[in-house]
Amino acid sequence: MQADSGALLNDDARANANAGADTPAVPDALTDAVTQARLAMLGMLVAGLAHELNTPLGALNSNHDVLRRALGKLQGILADEVVTADELDEVRRVVRAIDGVLRVNDMAVERMSELVRNLRSFGRLDRAGMDHVDLHEGLDSTLAILDYEMRPLVVRKEYGELPAVECQAHQINQVFMNLLLNARQATPPDGSITVRTRAHEGRVIVSVIDTGSGMDAGRVAHIFEPGFTTKGARVGMGLGLPISLQIVQQHGGRIDVQSSTGNGTTFTVTLPVRQATITTVQGGKT
Amino acid sequence: MKDADAGIVMIVDDEVMVAAALRSFLELETGYEVLTYTSPVEALPALQEQDVKVIISDFMMPVMDGITFLRNARVARPFATRILLTGYADKENAIRAINEVGLYHYFEKPWDNEHLKMVIRNGIERCTLFTELDQRVSALENANAELSGMRRKLMQALL
Repeated sequence: MQADSGALLNDDARANANAGADTPAVPDALTDAVTQARLAMLGMLVAGLAHELNTPLGALNSNHDVLRRALGKLQGILADEVVTADELDEVRRVVRAIDGVLRVNDMAVERMSELVRNLRSFGRLDRAGMDHVDLHEGLDSTLAILDYEMRPLVVRKEYGELPAVECQAHQINQVFMNLLLNARQATPPDGSITVRTRAHEGRVIVSVIDTGSGMDAGRVAHIFEPGFTTKGARVGMGLGLPISLQIVQQHGGRIDVQSSTGNGTTFTVTLPVRQATITTVQGGKT
Repeated sequence: MKDADAGIVMIVDDEVMVAAALRSFLELETGYEVLTYTSPVEALPALQEQDVKVIISDFMMPVMDGITFLRNARVARPFATRILLTGYADKENAIRAINEVGLYHYFEKPWDNEHLKMVIRNGIERCTLFTELDQRVSALENANAELSGMRRKLMQALL
């Protein structure tokens, strides 16, 4: 019996297949690989977040225990309704501990609130469409989310004056994240990454400059090809740059690379301040 | 105050809230003197001056990681008990480095206060015993050297 692959599709899948009939065919393997790459990046993001949350959580967990112990001590002292001089010292100790606990709790709660603010800003889930965006806000949120990932590298911000840029913020933030992670992975622990921004003739220019190992011309020529990677298979599977390029091109922009072996690499994203036509950029699966 | 409840404990974590939470707990529950540092580079000179018995360090810190810090701390205070307090993500690297610095114990964040207290108490006892042992070995070596000298003099006198 000859199998008909179409016979295996349900009605929804058939409808989707037909809807895409007049667009260029994308090989399934590549689509899957792009999805895998996005999932890999999401995985790294989640791992980073888990670590970021662990610090305030650890402090709050300990402090909760300290408060319970402090209360136990106070209840013990008050049990006989008489507070002796020795016990008064103990009460003072308990009060000092509670004071310390409350200060740390303030910090921990603020840290977690800041994390949520950064996540919201990074994903821009509130404003998913084309919008006028402060790119510095996106860069700051992305750097905050990658804070743990970037250690112990020094990250320098050299921000110029930028106008609000018409773009899909969550997609552009994904580009920043890809470029920063690439820079991180190429740079030794004692190196540095510089993020530089400027505006020029209706365009904004964002450069991510690392002091890493750099690449020769042969490698540079291939870095935007799907599947090309200088890293282990675990990280991004060589699709971070093709995805970034696709997003930037959809915004009418470009990505340039300057690199040479031993002299680090500079990725420069150039975006128009205004989009030429009012069209919605294809979101894709993120 | 009992001896078991005395001693200097040093905490090094670049996250001030972790160092401060540990300080609140130890000051409430124990009689230890607690020194906290958010920079390992600043903590190292203090080891020269203070008779620290237990050192608790974070792993991932800017400028100097916890393993490098504990390796330096071992030179400054060879008998001080070394404890690593790591985030889960650091685990793999931390375990790889444990033997390099003669680590006594390692904790993952979030940690359990009661367990930590017990390990610190044992760590202080261990440090005290090592120090005493070292003093006795030194005393024995001195006595031995003295005896050898007397034996040599005796032999010279007799022969």
